[in-house]
Amino acid sequence: MATPLDAQPELQLRPADQVMNLVRLGSLHASRLSFCRSLVRQMAREDWTVTTVRFDLDADGHGVVIYRLSTPNHTYHGVVFSQHLDPELRSDRVIAEAWDVTFALLEGEVEESLLEQMAANVPLQEAGRQHPRLLVLSRANKSLRNFGHFVDALASGQQPDPAWLTRVGYLYRTTAVYGNGKFGIADYARLQNNPDFNRPFSAQMFAVYLLRHFSVQQVEHLARNRSPERAVALHPSLQRYLGIGNSTGLGMAPFLINHPQLIQQWVYCRERALAYAREQRPNEASRRELLALLHRAHRHFWETVTEDAEQTRRNEATVVSIDSVIEWLERTPATPNLWNDLLVWADKQCSLEAQELINTLLIELYPDLIDAVEDELGCEEILELQPEMRAATLKQDIEARFAWALDYDPKNPDHQYWFWYRSVEKEEPRLGVRACEPGSAKEMPLAIGPRIYRTHQLLDAFLDRSPRGSVVEFLMAHPRQKECVRRIQTMAATPYGEIQANLWHRDMKPMHLLRTKLSFFGASRFDPKSDRWVRVTLFQGAPLFCELFSDHGTDKARLAELDDWSFPVEPELNQP
Amino acid sequence: MKVSFNELQGIGRKAFIGIGFAEGDAIDAAEMVAWMEAHGLGGVEALKKGLRFLLAEDHNESPTLVYQDEDFSVLDAHNHSILGNASLAVELGYARARGRGLSVTKIRHCHNRILIIGYLSRLARRGMNVTAFWRNAHDPLTELVVGFKAGHPVPEICLYSLENTPDETEKNDGITLIMANHVDLLPSLRSEYELTNLMRQTEEDLEKQRDRALVEGMDVDDELWHNLKSLADRLLVEATDASRSGAGAGTSDND
Repeated sequence: MATPLDAQPELQLRPADQVMNLVRLGSLHASRLSFCRSLVRQMAREDWTVTTVRFDLDADGHGVVIYRLSTPNHTYHGVVFSQHLDPELRSDRVIAEAWDVTFALLEGEVEESLLEQMAANVPLQEAGRQHPRLLVLSRANKSLRNFGHFVDALASGQQPDPAWLTRVGYLYRTTAVYGNGKFGIADYARLQNNPDFNRPFSAQMFAVYLLRHFSVQQVEHLARNRSPERAVALHPSLQRYLGIGNSTGLGMAPFLINHPQLIQQWVYCRERALAYAREQRPNEASRRELLALLHRAHRHFWETVTEDAEQTRRNEATVVSIDSVIEWLERTPATPNLWNDLLVWADKQCSLEAQELINTLLIELYPDLIDAVEDELGCEEILELQPEMRAATLKQDIEARFAWALDYDPKNPDHQYWFWYRSVEKEEPRLGVRACEPGSAKEMPLAIGPRIYRTHQLLDAFLDRSPRGSVVEFLMAHPRQKECVRRIQTMAATPYGEIQANLWHRDMKPMHLLRTKLSFFGASRFDPKSDRWVRVTLFQGAPLFCELFSDHGTDKARLAELDDWSFPVEPELNQP
Repeated sequence: MKVSFNELQGIGRKAFIGIGFAEGDAIDAAEMVAWMEAHGLGGVEALKKGLRFLLAEDHNESPTLVYQDEDFSVLDAHNHSILGNASLAVELGYARARGRGLSVTKIRHCHNRILIIGYLSRLARRGMNVTAFWRNAHDPLTELVVGFKAGHPVPEICLYSLENTPDETEKNDGITLIMANHVDLLPSLRSEYELTNLMRQTEEDLEKQRDRALVEGMDVDDELWHNLKSLADRLLVEATDASRSGAGAGTSDND
């Protein structure tokens, strides 16, 4: 289906070696095309409604809660199991075996028999066998400090201090959100013709959004139980400022590397949106709008807290950069080339995170055309061979499109410093040092650069013997190259898709991979716990279910207002 | 037990790598099995029958080119399962057909032949008309014809038995593939011998099967699943204290 952006043949896309540089990808922010934003727009536009159909929590907040989701197309249910968790067992790692809450989103009705099956299996997560009507399976742990503070405050008739949510923006953080057939649940293919959840990760994002609603209901329930006379409900501004955390690690990397066509779509959509925005003629109103967005983002980053020294430095650099951008934009009139001049200036003057922030905010200014590409974020994924291609053409393609991979030096130990593997402990992805840790013989083949380098070397030798040989003849001589060759042939036809970095290299930072994927999800408040483990917040600032209902009107201005929740800032409460 | 398509494909991929397949072959083999099972064509059963042989095969031994000219290729698969790197023999036929308009490829001495249908689907999606033909040495003799129209991901399949066929001494362990760029090659039954149509599956039948599999999941017996899991576990690295820190996370999150 053609979208408005397709009618812009002259769009000047940024080159792949700039966009797909891992350090730049690791500086991306959530944008209006991120999955969280896209989902909330869809819910508001289509008037999705959520009702609580069962709320069986005891005085400790343990029990079962069931929600019904009605969309214009289908009915779904979200089922949450809340249980006591021994503190010794509370771990965000995949090797954990118990969690504070486990939950699932399922298609259709929750019959008693299905609920029994779920009660026996959902709390077990990976160790259970899940029903094929489940679309999403997930679990979450409490942020103990926030949880305790919130219940104490509400039970005593007070609102919690908003600063607590600025430090840690959630009551629960998910530690895995499974979709696509994992542990017996429904395949993603089943959703491809379902207009509710046919966008990548939209069902998972909805499940996370639903957990946010549960977390508010649960703390209010606990406060009421503790102090029925004095307890108050959570202030709507705080409900909005409350997100859901996610704790994640190296598991993001295999996904990014194993789905190059999907990554190509995500990046391509974002880059087209940016190229389009960049070419628009600014006016005084759009210049003012960008300034307003910059001021909010400035405060968001100024408020953001993390114990990680490197991320703190990056946040500070972003704040300093935004100061200069605001100053530059205040004194620069809205000339026809203003956006282009701004981006050229920012590329020279600002930190990478700030550059990508400006790109993100510029996209915000043109929703009517840009939002249309959100339907193109998915794609059919299949790497295809072109066996009839001349081997010489394949070699030329590598040299033209994958020159970055040929920088690999097999004689340099730094170029093969790391290896990626899965541990026998619940298949947890881990990173090892090749020279001194066992297991490299079982490594995951994630370092695409060195693989392309190897293919290129073999092609070179093959072409010496068979200058007119075809790709299939090359592969019959070197059958183990098949996967790499079809990846090269498929991805060479696309502008983006391959992350241009050697994932074995000593200087490679896994955090950049994590952030790449999380930014497309819509994560904010990056809070690294090491160079390969991070906590983030999703949906902080997003409208609540009760705000989305069309009783409040579905006019364009209201929908735009609901959608304006990026880079949230700490609310000011007027407590009595 | 019931499993999803993605789960069967995923465990298959890991198990085949665990057996010693190259990554590309493992991906193809897992897709062939899952694709066949999802379309009601017995992918899991075929794998169950073939797994013992797969474990004994040398996975570095590729099909050997016995004869070739511009249009016709004959390859010897050395009595290996089609799940190994036989896909390259198929790709050779595809490349020839792209260049010449039509090609004939014979893969001799292979087993698990039914599973090749899952790979031929790839070629059809790339715009190739494909017909595969082989005989099974059952009594009575059966012939199987699979026809994909270019651009259609599912085939029409015809399986029939033949009575009173002439004596044949050649072992029935090969596949003949005919590929054409521009012409439909669908099976149409016509014979001077007596035919019994054992099975005819249309594209519509197969698509219904797939839709059902996506809703209900697919049955895999526990023993096969356990075997695949054990093979997949060969890729996992033993845990040590040092490796536990390799995930970059602490062990407690009581904050």
